[in-house]
Amino acid sequence: MRSDPKVRFREEATHTLVVVFLRGGADGLSMVVPTEDDAYYRARPLIGIAKGDTKALDSMFGFNAAMAPLHRAYDEGELLIVQGAGSEEDSRSHFEAQDYMEHGGTGAGGWLGRYLRNNSRAANNPLAAVALGKYSPESLRSSPATVVMDSLAELSLGEDAREYLDDLRDLYGAASLPWADAGTDLLDAMERIESLHSSPYESEGGASYPDDAFAQHLKQVAQLVKAGLGVEAVTLDLAGWDSHVVSATLMNPLMTRLAAGLMAFYDDLGPKRENTTVVVMSEFGRRVYENASLGTDHGRGSVMMVLGGGVRGGRVLADWPGLAEEHLEGPGDLPVRFNYRDILAGIVQRHLPETALNQIFPGYTLKPMETMY
Amino acid sequence: MISRREFLASSSMALAACSTSTWSHGRTAEMAQEDPRLLRHVLDRVAYGPRPEDISRVQAQGLDAYLASQLNPATLDDSEGERRVRRLETLRCPTGELFEYKEELLWTELASGKLLRACYSERQLFEVMVDFWTDHFNIDSSKGDCPWLKTADDRDVIRKHALGSFPELLRASALGPAMLWYLDGRSNRKSTPEEAPNENYARELLELHTLGVHGGYTQHDVMEVARCLTGWTVRSDTWFGKGRVEFNNAFHDDGAKRVLGQDIPAEGGKDDVDRVMDIVVGHPATASHLAAKLCRRFIGPDTDGATILVVAAAFAESKGDIPETLRALFQTEAFRMPGAPTFKRPFRYLVSALRASEAEIMSPDALLDYLARMGHSPFQYPTPDGYPEEAAPWTGSLLWRWHVVHALSRGQLPGVTTDWTALKSNAGGGLALAESLLGQSLTLAEKKLIRNGQAPGLILAAPRYQGA
Repeated sequence: MRSDPKVRFREEATHTLVVVFLRGGADGLSMVVPTEDDAYYRARPLIGIAKGDTKALDSMFGFNAAMAPLHRAYDEGELLIVQGAGSEEDSRSHFEAQDYMEHGGTGAGGWLGRYLRNNSRAANNPLAAVALGKYSPESLRSSPATVVMDSLAELSLGEDAREYLDDLRDLYGAASLPWADAGTDLLDAMERIESLHSSPYESEGGASYPDDAFAQHLKQVAQLVKAGLGVEAVTLDLAGWDSHVVSATLMNPLMTRLAAGLMAFYDDLGPKRENTTVVVMSEFGRRVYENASLGTDHGRGSVMMVLGGGVRGGRVLADWPGLAEEHLEGPGDLPVRFNYRDILAGIVQRHLPETALNQIFPGYTLKPMETMY
Repeated sequence: MISRREFLASSSMALAACSTSTWSHGRTAEMAQEDPRLLRHVLDRVAYGPRPEDISRVQAQGLDAYLASQLNPATLDDSEGERRVRRLETLRCPTGELFEYKEELLWTELASGKLLRACYSERQLFEVMVDFWTDHFNIDSSKGDCPWLKTADDRDVIRKHALGSFPELLRASALGPAMLWYLDGRSNRKSTPEEAPNENYARELLELHTLGVHGGYTQHDVMEVARCLTGWTVRSDTWFGKGRVEFNNAFHDDGAKRVLGQDIPAEGGKDDVDRVMDIVVGHPATASHLAAKLCRRFIGPDTDGATILVVAAAFAESKGDIPETLRALFQTEAFRMPGAPTFKRPFRYLVSALRASEAEIMSPDALLDYLARMGHSPFQYPTPDGYPEEAAPWTGSLLWRWHVVHALSRGQLPGVTTDWTALKSNAGGGLALAESLLGQSLTLAEKKLIRNGQAPGLILAAPRYQGA
């Protein structure tokens, strides 16, 4: 017989961690610009972002104008920026660096997968992990369950499929194939979401989501968070940052989308931001020197951002000796001064105070860093 | 993963006619060539799954003869496959003229062609290898001029060499206009001492196309390969000759280089690319990397090292002859001992279901829509590593598999017709049809799914049909 999963309303307990991955290696130096560092302009005579095209963050950095909408969250103290973040993996290969970062090292499974396995709130909840888009990312590998979707409405098969779905539940429940559990989890999720998408969604706080996929995905996240369905981890991508050629043409629309989408989400969530943290990361930054195609090649340190969730923001964390050649790494790259795991660990500790961090980031000794909260 | 033992147990009810075969006599014994389970397994790997009569056809022909003919596709009459794509005119359009078409039309015809050929071509192994190389030399058709040039790449690079010589395939890819766009080779140049080459293609050449990420190259090798390839570009700014690949010596770094420990003397000019190709193709890591990938595709993710070595040796000895390499793979015991099933990627799943039900595709549009929702749109994977092979990233596609089967089995898939009545009567009833679609006898729960024999096609949504 079909088990009937109950929709549990547990928004009080839920902490949602939203991970935005900027795939392709985002050039942090064009996003959070060291406008007071002459070496930056010497290394990038043609593509450096002029101070006049930025909005000041502190005495060293300014937001690229395309990112400026985020400045309000920064002013309100809910946006923490880390310049020079990344991993120790230095192959400068997109896939190696993404894998390493999403796995949280070389251990098996993804760091979010372990986060969910060590999270009692996620147990037996097929909606604990939602991957917006077409794929489940490596970070969610080994997660107890993942729902992959572009929008909530997609999950419905229509009224006349009731019997078919009941039979599928029996079949997937009885099967021992490696993908059987994924089928059962999916059937559970379909039941829960059926109740959600039947009424139109009204955003709050004056939020207006642009039409692009990134913002629309964030809107779905807001809907899930507000419905209190126990979503603990969400992944979504904003891809296309591989700016080998004419970086401004490639990056400006992406930065605009990133800032507009995040701010709509920020406004829409309102007080629910307290238990919802957004973290923005990329596999690596770009070389400090521009190349002949007005772009930059693969480098090391990039920008990470933490939005909401009670973070003590309004600050740029950067240990900044400047971009003079002696401070660069390898072929001329911004060194990684903040290991991404040290930043994630701060968030995990806030969301799962009971959990031993070495369960989630095994094989890595977390470094003490300035408090994030 | 389920173990081979569990898999054997779960299949032990299969096809009662064969229950006394070598199957029960231990795992090391090779299955008899005519064993339908082996033939089904082979058709699931070498082809996009069997059509209703295929297993008995191959049984009559003999497995070795079947494999030999698939390895030599020119000997197979493919008028049916070609008839299906005849109206897709852009597939035959010369490179320069592709720019006269809208990009949506080019993609739709290219993707339709891939789907129709996979379903209807007799040259099934060829189509499977086209898919393999399309991922290996992945190009996202959304970048730069790629929407126009991917059609030429598919025809002049991938399909031209899919069952030919790897060195020729690699060189065609390196100097193909779509690849020069996709991985920025077109703007890799050095005309002044300050100008730094664009490393994008050089890195993926070593990491993905040849040696593999652990193949023993260094960042310095990447930079040196990039230097060798400076000056190659593709015409894009003028209408005349758009898409033409050219070498501009003024943009070439003509100094001496050293790639993977081998010197490339100065002033090699446009011949540097051939030196680089020779060095990377001949590197032992390339043979291992390609052998491992082929074994992953045709045998499974846990292929033993000894089998990979055999295939790598065949690759090296034949100097990268693709049919010779596959011939060696097909003769390994690992290939002929069906192991645990692997999860079918959405394209393979969809095509196998359409072939199994002898679907008549009038318009592939709805099918392409489903592929997009399952995350497997042809020629749209964004990064150069190609669509993933492993199961984990694809389990979310189950939802759309259930959707598409629900529609297909009820004759409600737009643009597609299936004569379920004829299939049922040929098979000898609904249960018998479901059993032959699955290739295994049905469990009680599977029988329930097609209760009253009304829609035997629903068996295609069962967990066991998701893998092969």
